[in-house]
Amino acid sequence: MRFLALSRKELRESLPWLLLAGLLLLGVGLLILRSEARFARMDKQHWSSRQALGPGEVVNTYALVRSPHLTMVAMWLAFIGPGLGLVLGVCHFWVPLFARTWSFLLHRSTSRMSILGAKLAAAILGLLISLGLVWTGLYWYACRPGLLPIPEPIQILIVGWVYIAIGLVVYMGTALSALSTARWYTTRIFGLAFAALAAFVILLQWHLGWVLVLTVLAIAILFVQTVAAFLSREF
Amino acid sequence: MAEIVLETKGLTKYYGAKPALDHLDLRVPRGCICGFLGRNGAGKTTAIKLMLGLLTPTAGSATLLGCDSTALTPAIRQRIGYVTEGHRLLRWMSIGRLEEFQRAFFPKQWDGRLFAEMIEYFELSRRQKIKHLSNGQRAQVSLALALAPNPELLVMDDPTLGLDAAIRRQFLEGMIELIMRQGRTVLFSSHILADVERVADRIVVIDKGVLRADCPLEQFRMSVRKVVVHFENSAPADVELAGLLHFRRSERQLELTLVGVGDAEVADWAARAGAERFDFVEMNLEDQFIEFTAPPHRRRLFQWEKA
Repeated sequence: MRFLALSRKELRESLPWLLLAGLLLLGVGLLILRSEARFARMDKQHWSSRQALGPGEVVNTYALVRSPHLTMVAMWLAFIGPGLGLVLGVCHFWVPLFARTWSFLLHRSTSRMSILGAKLAAAILGLLISLGLVWTGLYWYACRPGLLPIPEPIQILIVGWVYIAIGLVVYMGTALSALSTARWYTTRIFGLAFAALAAFVILLQWHLGWVLVLTVLAIAILFVQTVAAFLSREF
Repeated sequence: MAEIVLETKGLTKYYGAKPALDHLDLRVPRGCICGFLGRNGAGKTTAIKLMLGLLTPTAGSATLLGCDSTALTPAIRQRIGYVTEGHRLLRWMSIGRLEEFQRAFFPKQWDGRLFAEMIEYFELSRRQKIKHLSNGQRAQVSLALALAPNPELLVMDDPTLGLDAAIRRQFLEGMIELIMRQGRTVLFSSHILADVERVADRIVVIDKGVLRADCPLEQFRMSVRKVVVHFENSAPADVELAGLLHFRRSERQLELTLVGVGDAEVADWAARAGAERFDFVEMNLEDQFIEFTAPPHRRRLFQWEKA
């Protein structure tokens, strides 16, 4: 009940940002996919009319050779995911510092670990619902038979989820920076810098296995550091 | 002897090389209403945060309800109410939602009727958002939130800071009524002496992080005294008297501020110094506090005997 109350509070506090990010992804995704579907229909008609001209005619193969359509949406997600992670991190860890509500929050009949856990749970749930669900929905929509000329590969779905996971990496980096009591030009920047570096390295990988390993590793390192910082920090 | 609810032993906190609190030894018995006094920056908030485990002591320890402050369990925290300095609450919540949030942490002991009564007493509505409340109204909500779980120990960090006189009185009356009704132990910091005089039965005075007094309010009131000594000729340049806080000298008169010095001792000293006569001057708590915590160049060191 206490954990639920804490998680609900965190979710409610970040709700406007979750809605904004989810709606932005949905809007951009639908716009791109609908446009792609329209182009695909036009291409099909064009191709059919050319076919009617007979052999030897140049055929518009645009629809057959282009990249998967969701790639463009995924590029947006590459910004929205980490961006939402950053905003959630600010909401959950920076805002209580500025508003000086940590004392009120920490003097609860619950452990510090529960308070941190509720924040992490809210962030993960927020990312999953606002971006994960929308992204998976868009993938499902793009795969509907007849909508697009080429079926979307499953890899593009996974790539999108990696961008969402990078959002979690950035969230934890922001949390770690907020919890640090050092100066900005010293180790306080470490959390955010590490998250940015991890995101960069993950995005450079070609092999899905490495992407997953590095993402999990980055999250694990930041999680351990964040827990240690939160449990020992003075407020 | 009453059970000790709050105890600190050599509680010390340094920020870098600067001591914010220096070896605080304190014992608050059950049922006591303890006013925690000190000037701005004396170390009151630091001491309270150390007691509640929000800060880690550099040395020493604090024990609340038998539990070390650095390891307060959720079960112990459930028995302690805390009103934060400045009444920092979650601004986006309405009073009703904040009650729901707070109640989740005290499922068995939450007194919904008491909360409703207090909200009504303070003429607030559950629908009002915290961000739309005045400072005084936030203080009232803070008090209601802290009292509704029926805490055994209530710790308040400068709860009347920034409130106007009318709201302060209303706040204190609400607090007194509830404390009287339910016999709780209260520790509240303040630098508004009238509030302390109205509510507290014991006071603790700290100055620059150092404990200067820990005694019943009445004892403090009787101990800190001012005496004006008149001389026929010129007043002596220096005063040697145990318990002298500081003195002011004019041509034929000495104004002494004393602590823990009886009438007979004053009379004896006056006779030895060749004084013509002496008069005790009535002091209110505020005067006493100001004299008691006067800067070092105006006071002498003395050994304060703790009661």
